[in-house]
Amino acid sequence: MNVIIVGAGNLGSSLVRKLSDLGHKITVIEKNSKAVSLLPRGRVDSGVITVIHGDGATGPAMLEAGIASADVFIAATGNDSINGLAAQRAKTIFRVEKVMTIVRDEGARILYESLGISTINKAALASDQLVSVLTEEA
Amino acid sequence: MYLLIVGGGKVGAPLASSFINEGHEVFVLDNNPDVVASLQRELGMIASIGEAASVRALQDAGASRADAIIATTNSDADNLAACQLAKTNFDVARTIAIANSPENAELFERAGVDLVVSATDLVLANLATALPAHPLIRLMSIADRSHELVAIKLPPAGTSIGRTLSEIRLPYGTKVVVMITSTGQSKSPDSDPIIEAEDEIIALSPTNSTAELWELLTELR
Repeated sequence: MNVIIVGAGNLGSSLVRKLSDLGHKITVIEKNSKAVSLLPRGRVDSGVITVIHGDGATGPAMLEAGIASADVFIAATGNDSINGLAAQRAKTIFRVEKVMTIVRDEGARILYESLGISTINKAALASDQLVSVLTEEA
Repeated sequence: MYLLIVGGGKVGAPLASSFINEGHEVFVLDNNPDVVASLQRELGMIASIGEAASVRALQDAGASRADAIIATTNSDADNLAACQLAKTNFDVARTIAIANSPENAELFERAGVDLVVSATDLVLANLATALPAHPLIRLMSIADRSHELVAIKLPPAGTSIGRTLSEIRLPYGTKVVVMITSTGQSKSPDSDPIIEAEDEIIALSPTNSTAELWELLTELR
């Protein structure tokens, strides 16, 4: 699958690595040129992973990333609003079939879910896991 | 009315002050403590520190009883999120957002923001008005940007001068609303007036044929 990921921070780059291991074609859009150091260098150099330097919430960056042929679009920056804007543009303007995002605010999760965007609340997910580990131990 | 303004900067602060002068109840949310402190000094306790795109902050600012929310931050992402969260979580009747980047205006409208103000369009329209030689002014977008209201100033010696309005083959869907002479007299299109030099034509134009309309009316002899 052609996957576009916006944001190459801790979460974004870990996602890039895992999806790339599974053999998907990944294009990453990242604003900060330093953050790109978290990506697997060999695969970036060999062109298996494409990196676009730009604002992933904007149309021009999405077009450069080849959004017209993307199967999946994942907004994974550390900013809820930017993830929401990017995901909505991918969905309503570029009509990407599968759009996903990650937020911190539960209100934002409910909002984006209602728009047909698969949304994960990072904080809720982490705390749920911690609680389940604790309950298993008890 | 109770108006919730998100972003107390260059747009939000003067807006808050003018709404207060008009007798409205106003509250401003901004994530910058310095901005909030300055608003409190000038306008009283009508501002607090908070993130635009947080349900909690909107709730604390009284979003549930707000008649309208006006998002004026310099982050389009925050402006959109604030309006959408206000609508879905607090049922705010009217959501208004500034689109700092012109490409976001259409997305905001599709995302259900009730009124989208495109900062670039406003500046361009004002600049155009200030430059008398500029022959095309876009006054406003209508119906999801499919149409626009435009003002076109005719040149002193164009091919359309001296003909009547009905003799000009306007692009499909274009409707002349009114014509204004250089001395300020208005001419109704219904009376099929003669087009004179330096008339200003106000027309409703399908957005994609405005360029054609402009070329037609300003073509020089």
